[in-house]
Amino acid sequence: MGLWEAFLNWLRSLFFKQEMELSLIGLQNAGKTSLVNVVATGGYSEDMIPTVGFNMKKVTKGNVTIKLWDLGGQPRFRSMWERYCRSVSAIVYVVDAADPDNLSTSRSELHDLLSKPSLSSIPLLVLGNKIDKPGALSKQALTDEMGLKSIENREVCCFMISCKNSTNIDSVIEWLVKHSKSKS
Amino acid sequence: MAQPLVKKDDDRDDEGTSLTLASRSEFPFHFLFNFRFRFCKLPNQPFVRQISWFYAISISILLDLADYSPFLGIEKGAVLQEARVFNDPQLDARRCSQVITKLLYLLNQGETFTKIEATEVFFAVTKLFQSRDIGLRRMVYLMIKEISPSADEVIIVTSSLMKDMNSKTDMYRANAIRVLCRITDGTLLTQIERYLKQAIVDKNPVVASAALVSGIHLLQTNPEIVKRWSNEVQEAVQSRAALVQFHALALLHQIRQNDRLAVSKLVTSLTRGTVRSPLAQCLLIRYTSQVIRESGGNNQTGDRPFYDYLESCLRHKAEMVIFEAAKAITELTGVTNRELTPAITVLQLFLSSSKPVLRFAAVRTLNKVAMTHPMAVTNCNIDMESLIGDPNRSIATLAITTLLKTGNESSVDRLMKQITNFMSDIADEFKIVVVEAIRSLCLKFPLKYRSLMNFLSNILREEGGFEYKKAIVDSIVILISDIPDAKESGLLHLCEFIEDCEFTYLSTQILHFLGIEGPKTSDPSKYIRYIYNRVHLENATVRAAAVSTLAKFGALVDSLKPRIFILLRRCLFDSDDEVRDRATLYLNTLGGDGAVVETDKDVKEFLFGSLDIPFVNLETSLKNYEPSEEPFDINSVPREVKSQPLAEKKAPGKKQPAGAPPSGPPSTVDAYEKLLSSIPEFSSFGKLFKSSAPVELTEAETEYAVNAVKHIFDSHVVFQYNCTNTIPEQLLENVTVIVDGSDAEEFSEVATKPLRTLPYDTPGQTFVAFEKPEGVPAVGKFSNTLRFIVKEVDPSMGEAEDDGVEDEYQLEDLEVVAADYMLKVPVSNFRNAWESMDPDGERVDEYGLGPRESLAEAVSAVINLLGMQPCEGTEVVPNNSRSHTCLLSGVYIGNVKVLVRLSLGIDNSKEVAMKLAVRSDDENVSDAIHEIVASG
Repeated sequence: MGLWEAFLNWLRSLFFKQEMELSLIGLQNAGKTSLVNVVATGGYSEDMIPTVGFNMKKVTKGNVTIKLWDLGGQPRFRSMWERYCRSVSAIVYVVDAADPDNLSTSRSELHDLLSKPSLSSIPLLVLGNKIDKPGALSKQALTDEMGLKSIENREVCCFMISCKNSTNIDSVIEWLVKHSKSKS
Repeated sequence: MAQPLVKKDDDRDDEGTSLTLASRSEFPFHFLFNFRFRFCKLPNQPFVRQISWFYAISISILLDLADYSPFLGIEKGAVLQEARVFNDPQLDARRCSQVITKLLYLLNQGETFTKIEATEVFFAVTKLFQSRDIGLRRMVYLMIKEISPSADEVIIVTSSLMKDMNSKTDMYRANAIRVLCRITDGTLLTQIERYLKQAIVDKNPVVASAALVSGIHLLQTNPEIVKRWSNEVQEAVQSRAALVQFHALALLHQIRQNDRLAVSKLVTSLTRGTVRSPLAQCLLIRYTSQVIRESGGNNQTGDRPFYDYLESCLRHKAEMVIFEAAKAITELTGVTNRELTPAITVLQLFLSSSKPVLRFAAVRTLNKVAMTHPMAVTNCNIDMESLIGDPNRSIATLAITTLLKTGNESSVDRLMKQITNFMSDIADEFKIVVVEAIRSLCLKFPLKYRSLMNFLSNILREEGGFEYKKAIVDSIVILISDIPDAKESGLLHLCEFIEDCEFTYLSTQILHFLGIEGPKTSDPSKYIRYIYNRVHLENATVRAAAVSTLAKFGALVDSLKPRIFILLRRCLFDSDDEVRDRATLYLNTLGGDGAVVETDKDVKEFLFGSLDIPFVNLETSLKNYEPSEEPFDINSVPREVKSQPLAEKKAPGKKQPAGAPPSGPPSTVDAYEKLLSSIPEFSSFGKLFKSSAPVELTEAETEYAVNAVKHIFDSHVVFQYNCTNTIPEQLLENVTVIVDGSDAEEFSEVATKPLRTLPYDTPGQTFVAFEKPEGVPAVGKFSNTLRFIVKEVDPSMGEAEDDGVEDEYQLEDLEVVAADYMLKVPVSNFRNAWESMDPDGERVDEYGLGPRESLAEAVSAVINLLGMQPCEGTEVVPNNSRSHTCLLSGVYIGNVKVLVRLSLGIDNSKEVAMKLAVRSDDENVSDAIHEIVASG
């Protein structure tokens, strides 16, 4: 029985692509759109304009098609994040690790969002971006600052990345892909 | 948004009830175009190509299936449930499109979505941006535009739209522009302006049109930005694509619409023939006629500018252009027969077209022309006769009413018979058209009143809405007052109508009218039954009106009085207060015992006199009245009509704007007479002969606004100065006008009546009276100075200081002229009146009026000089005519009736000569008229 199902899954993965849906959120200028670009094309540009609203991108990695909802981080969009996080496979929360001033805002926005009942038990991936910059926080410091330990009833993971240097992007994709498989 | 579906109904109306295959293939797509054109001019309603397309499809589906709609049974709750498919991980594009179609249908049916529902749907729809299906994306754009959530939510799609605006897919580009411009604000607009400018000159016409139409909408909110696009728009006007040209022209015109010269230049350059699109051509015709209107008619050579262009459009191959040009020509101000002929000719061709829409358009235009130029339309009479049998009732109605306007007396009966046949088939608004045509026809041919009155009474008995019934009743009332022979039968028709009338308003109106006219007929008693029936059968309002009417009969017809009393006594037991009150009141005023006695004059005055107090003032006074021992005194109600208190206006303390609402009592002679006789100083002057219209003695926007009314008595003249203080910080006291009559020798001042106080923004009157030789039309000039004591007022406290300063204020001069001694009194039949006057009293003389601009100007100058009433419409001088006869009537001081016949001629050097014939009962008066003209 188990063997038969595993075989079927393997067959499916050969013929059918798996889909997953992610929403990318975080304060403005955290690097969400850059991350999308890096994941999708591998390219990086210094010169980005703020996202007004959302960008929708589909990326295929291996046999997984990832739908990315890249949402604007400006205050006027934050109330609408929740609508695009419902029923996604995972919420990706990007934090500017080199901007300690906004960390407390970032933390409260995150916790506000996660307190919404519609988003319960959706896995959360927190990414500390811009570790290439001097003064960027360490993973431990970020975990503490963001209060990630206090989040219960959902899977939480944290990576430190740099979109500019493509540091750790691979492990992010790996986590995502693995996550989509584990979910299906 | 329900318009298009209403439109659909109209079209079906045009086709009649039975839809045949043939008529369906003639589905009037012009209407759709027309509709779309109108649509794009509404500021808040986007000109949506997709929407029109969507309607066009749904309308044609509806027409095809006649009775079955694919949208049958769509219900909001169910559709909202279905809308959950938008959130599915695997999107079914086809199904999503269907759901959006249903949502759009609901929205267009006027279904409202709560804020929560709309927000839910909106966010669900935004998720559909992930689909690459072009059809679905198109519906997404539409849906975003239609559901239009609040501004802070709709902004979420901005980024996606900006991406689509630069997409390679033309459809995405075009529609993203439309939606983006709908949701954008000023700051975002500057960011995307660059792309919009590019889009205007995009080689794809759909994209260019989208940008241009968006420009038309944005012009309302961000004009300065759109005006910067002029160059691109100009380029788009030259586009080969018809739609782009149309939209570009519309936008270009809107950008320049406030600059008359620029519009004129635009029209001049484009009428030389670069416009190919028929729709754009139609627009150009409209703009051209606008330029013609504003340029003020003919130039030196007598040719109308741009007329040649309009005339050339009559030979265009597109019907819509031909029609537009013909319509424009018929609507030219002062159009001549020569100009009109070619337009009438093409409209005549349209009359026999196989397309109902063309027939309708042509006959409707001809109907309008018939009002001003009945002779020009007579050529089309034969074609219109055949349209009477048109299956489309709207066309038939218009044809028949046009014929009524152009026809002669002999054809009336035949036409009436034909109208009667289909009256029940047409809609109320067309019935009103018919009723109005009948009314004017009856006034034109009074001898035909019998058949016309019968017709009106017949349709009055049939089913119909309020407006329609009101039109009929109004017509009958007008006929009764204009044609004495029609009175008795007309009144009886009205009586029959109120026997079964569902409209309270009409019943009370008719009862009131009966009360005035009924007692004067030969046999008043026959109306009593109808009136008293109302007391039994109707609601309280009508019952009360009926009681009043009964009382009027009782007051005027002495022989009926005892019987009326019996009826009124029965009304004392009515269940309604008002009815009982009225009955009691009338029983007492008519003089208790109910004997056959003549009614008191005071009672008549009370019953029939008009209440000369402004209702607003009466209402406030009654509201302020506190029940006490003292009864309410109607004389304490102020008679001035208060202008809007300035404090309520936006900028307090600002001076009253120019052309402020006329202050002072209503300028009817009755009201003036009451006012003057209530002032003891003037009560001995006798009967008021005439009161002039108010003459402004101050410039607009001055500290004190003063106008004057001249009251003429037999041997006195009273100047009434209506003063308004427009300074909130001042209170004026003891206001008088010092009149210097040293230039007017025949006048001597006898009395002045100062105004005690003149607070801010409350009009007040002060009077000055002069004596003059009795019956003599003395003229003279008076200089006026306003004299008063100013007291400072603290506007916040509203209290004036104790001591004031004396001050003066110079006013403009006031003149008493000959026309002030002439009353405008119309005569109904000038010829009869003229013949009945003694020919020996006629005085004829000839005058040279010198060079004048036109004959019309000379005529109006003489009319103003004499101050007489032009009769039979002779004050209107036809364009380009060389001679004219004008008939005037009036009553001269001393109650002498005067008739004047003016014959004027103009020669090539614009010299005007006039022959003046005057007849009156008094030769001296005839001479006086000549003196006026000779000295004027």
